[in-house]
Amino acid sequence: MIDPAIADHEYAGQPRRNEDTKGPDGPAFVSSFLRGDSLAGLQEKTQGIIGRSVPRHDAYQAVAGALQYTEDLRFPGMLHCRILRARYPHALILRVDTSRALDVPGVAAVITSRDVPHNRLGPMQQQHVLADERVRYLGDPVAAVAAETPETALEAAHLIEVEYRELPAVFDPEEALKPGAPILHGASNLFQRQNVRHGNVEKGFVESDLIVEESFRTPFLEHAAIEPQVALALPSGDGVIVYSPSSKPFSIQREVARALAIRQNRVRVIGTASGGGFGGKNEPILEPTLAILALKTGRPVRGLFTREEEFVASTVRHPFIMNYRSGVSRSGRILARHIRLIADTGAYPAMDSKTGGKTALVKGAMMAAGPYRIDNVLVEAIAVYTNQPVASNMRGPGVPQVCFACESHTETIARRLGMDSLEFRLLNAYQEGDVTPFGDTLFSVGLKQTMRQAAAAFGWAKEAGR
Amino acid sequence: MKKRGRGVGVMWYPTHPVGSNPSSAFAKINSDGSMVVMAGAKDVGQGSTTVLAQVAAACLGVPLDWVSMVTGDTGLTPYDGGSTGSRVTYIASRAVELAVAQAKKPLLLVASEHLGVPVEDLESGDGRIWVRSDPSRSIGIPAVAAECYSKKATVPVGAASYAAPGLTPPDPETGQGRSYPSYIYATHMAEVEVDTETGEVEVLRFVAAHDSGTIINPLLAKGQIRGGVSMGIGMALTEQILFQEGRPLNPNFMDYVIPTAMDVPDIEVILCDTPDPTSAFGVKAVGEASVVPTAPAIINAIYDAVGVRIYDLPATPEKILHALKTALASSEQQAASGK
Amino acid sequence: MKISFTVNGRSQELEIRPERTLLEVLRDDLGLTGTKHGCDSGECGACTVLIDGEPANSCLVLTPAVRGRHVLTIEGLAEDGKLHPLQQAFIDHGALQCGFCGSGMILSAKALLDRNPSPSRAEVRRGLAGNLCRCSGYQQIVDAVMDAADRLREVR
Repeated sequence: MIDPAIADHEYAGQPRRNEDTKGPDGPAFVSSFLRGDSLAGLQEKTQGIIGRSVPRHDAYQAVAGALQYTEDLRFPGMLHCRILRARYPHALILRVDTSRALDVPGVAAVITSRDVPHNRLGPMQQQHVLADERVRYLGDPVAAVAAETPETALEAAHLIEVEYRELPAVFDPEEALKPGAPILHGASNLFQRQNVRHGNVEKGFVESDLIVEESFRTPFLEHAAIEPQVALALPSGDGVIVYSPSSKPFSIQREVARALAIRQNRVRVIGTASGGGFGGKNEPILEPTLAILALKTGRPVRGLFTREEEFVASTVRHPFIMNYRSGVSRSGRILARHIRLIADTGAYPAMDSKTGGKTALVKGAMMAAGPYRIDNVLVEAIAVYTNQPVASNMRGPGVPQVCFACESHTETIARRLGMDSLEFRLLNAYQEGDVTPFGDTLFSVGLKQTMRQAAAAFGWAKEAGR
Repeated sequence: MKKRGRGVGVMWYPTHPVGSNPSSAFAKINSDGSMVVMAGAKDVGQGSTTVLAQVAAACLGVPLDWVSMVTGDTGLTPYDGGSTGSRVTYIASRAVELAVAQAKKPLLLVASEHLGVPVEDLESGDGRIWVRSDPSRSIGIPAVAAECYSKKATVPVGAASYAAPGLTPPDPETGQGRSYPSYIYATHMAEVEVDTETGEVEVLRFVAAHDSGTIINPLLAKGQIRGGVSMGIGMALTEQILFQEGRPLNPNFMDYVIPTAMDVPDIEVILCDTPDPTSAFGVKAVGEASVVPTAPAIINAIYDAVGVRIYDLPATPEKILHALKTALASSEQQAASGK
Repeated sequence: MKISFTVNGRSQELEIRPERTLLEVLRDDLGLTGTKHGCDSGECGACTVLIDGEPANSCLVLTPAVRGRHVLTIEGLAEDGKLHPLQQAFIDHGALQCGFCGSGMILSAKALLDRNPSPSRAEVRRGLAGNLCRCSGYQQIVDAVMDAADRLREVR
């Protein structure tokens, strides 16, 4: 077994075979289900369990109002946490004085970066539990209060004095790359580059009968789950228990343990019912703070974002600026595609995955050319820091953005060629055995099937059943 | 004036996020043949716990209500890489399949003794184990489980870890590498009606056809797909966080507009039967794909209806009106100068 | 101040500060956590309860406003452990995914069906327009409400 806590980018590089991963004694003890069985075959073999429309296991509790979400949990002596966030989108922290906050009756603790044993989070260790020397966006957490009521905690948070030296800020990724732009991390605001190179696009363009170029943009988007960010920590034995709806309880465990500088066995994360994630409840933006407050006060501490906080202090979808240039033959074959992508990644690398916040650009770049056979593809994609909320994973990171561009572009091309939208796509669409621009051989490719079945159900004027 | 148009968008999307992402599970069979599976995979509202229970029950060969799940608790369940990146059904189901297979071993050995055939000749289902070539020779799973505990003094337990093998991270310069184990595909088609006086767009009809591999639970899968389309409609028409100097101007549901029940039509969902040869039961993924091709299908439909293309989401009424005005002005100009 | 009102058929007499919202009082004082807290500004509908049969965003209702009135929360819908047809229909049609919008959605649907026992799908959608759901795309919710309407008409 791999030690998941330290597994990083070491890949086995083994050849892929169907029986690659077996049970300890080989496939004899695995069920006799054949891979690639049709659904009808599987339904028969499993008495209909595979393919059965069963209600969710907790549907009864949900409709009865009995399903306990994190905010529904009550513990004796429970405190409420409110977080003080940056006053400027980019500033140095000169001084933090919590004394007036501590004097408010009902306040049990006020913490700053000084109270965090290991004040770095995420695979890139670039975010902090509480800002120590610099804030880089308005949602950046600076201090946290635990008090008897949320109102008391808020009142106390407003009494924390923070002296800042404001720094110039940048809010546009193209501006952020210009000389003289304020720099957020290291020597440059360029966070990530991901290219895809296949064939020779210049040659492909020369051979094309028609070249089409268009630019597209998508904005910052919010997951907007109806349940806001929430978590609860309580001291327990020699450690802490954290209740969290996070999609990644084991990541939360690892991050809390590391922030507290204790071993993972002393942190238990109990996954609670989630009121919606969509990628927005993946990162440790509350739990480490609550754990520290719980241990400091010896009491349970709950944190809950306001709806306003969701928009500035929780993660968002990357805005993309996209340029597509395609060359096609008169007969409708796509011969070359050159794509440039610029993603605004906000103030810090996201903490979402082991790639350290690189997922959206990688997926966007890889999927950008669309599910089409194109001999010459060049994708040049970059992600850039700006003083805005942290962009991370939201349902299908990077791909809704590039698909909007690609499929809009595809439509323009089809119309210029005078071809039916679906015919043009069918002519170029992937099928079994095709190789992607990044070298992967495709199998189980149901793309054309989806096109034909959608067309039939929709009544798309020109039937595509060839 | 109201004008109608139709549009299509197709997509591909990888199962599995970028990076190493194992999943693991424990299984334990009780003395009455029922089973508890402890899986690290966390249900985030998408129904993974239910789907994994179905996988577990199918693997053991028992009715669904003989299986209970404990999930997403670092003190009780072993590691899972997280309910993200369209990986749970694809990866966690394999870990559950393997754990259940291991727990099942002692039961199969007991059955083999009773039925007098090697283990490879046995099949199971609906709470029984039988000889494949002669189904009339069978024994109940509760009986063999009880015998494991009592006569064999063996507790049937299993543990397994699974990660998609042979993956390599993409080279940042060329993208080359085998980053994902499998892909899903979909086609979305939309019919919209655009009001040329207000710029408002109504989505009248929507079809979503998905190749998501074997579908374990169509009710849950269709719900997921409809939810994704709804999110895609928001992306296409109304959603954006507006910032000024880093401060969101619309941090509430009044001004960050997500679709209501009046903004999303009935969505016809087609689940294509395209099993994946590398996974348990041929599953792939459902959750994220349905938000991917929705926006272009709608934007293309708007173009079909009124001849303007919105390049910069969301396609708000203001943008559509502005585009219509610009298009009208430029065509009037052309008509005037082209005499 | 002392406020008397009925919740789920039982009289309550509470001594509370007048500026407290009904949502807080239901959840924190009466332990009825089935009503959810989503946005604090009456925009998401997760906090919907019925006050004398009318849907209201309890996060915007100051508790003194329900003096002498009947409040119904999700916990009061089932009778003697038997689910209301709406609740059963929501289960059968897979209407809820994460479930967080569920309480508000079901109560708004109940108010709708009490007013209009034979709604069209469009009328159901209009009746639920104040309850946001981010998971489901609404269709299976509408299916459930239409089905519940049928079942309720059969009973009557």
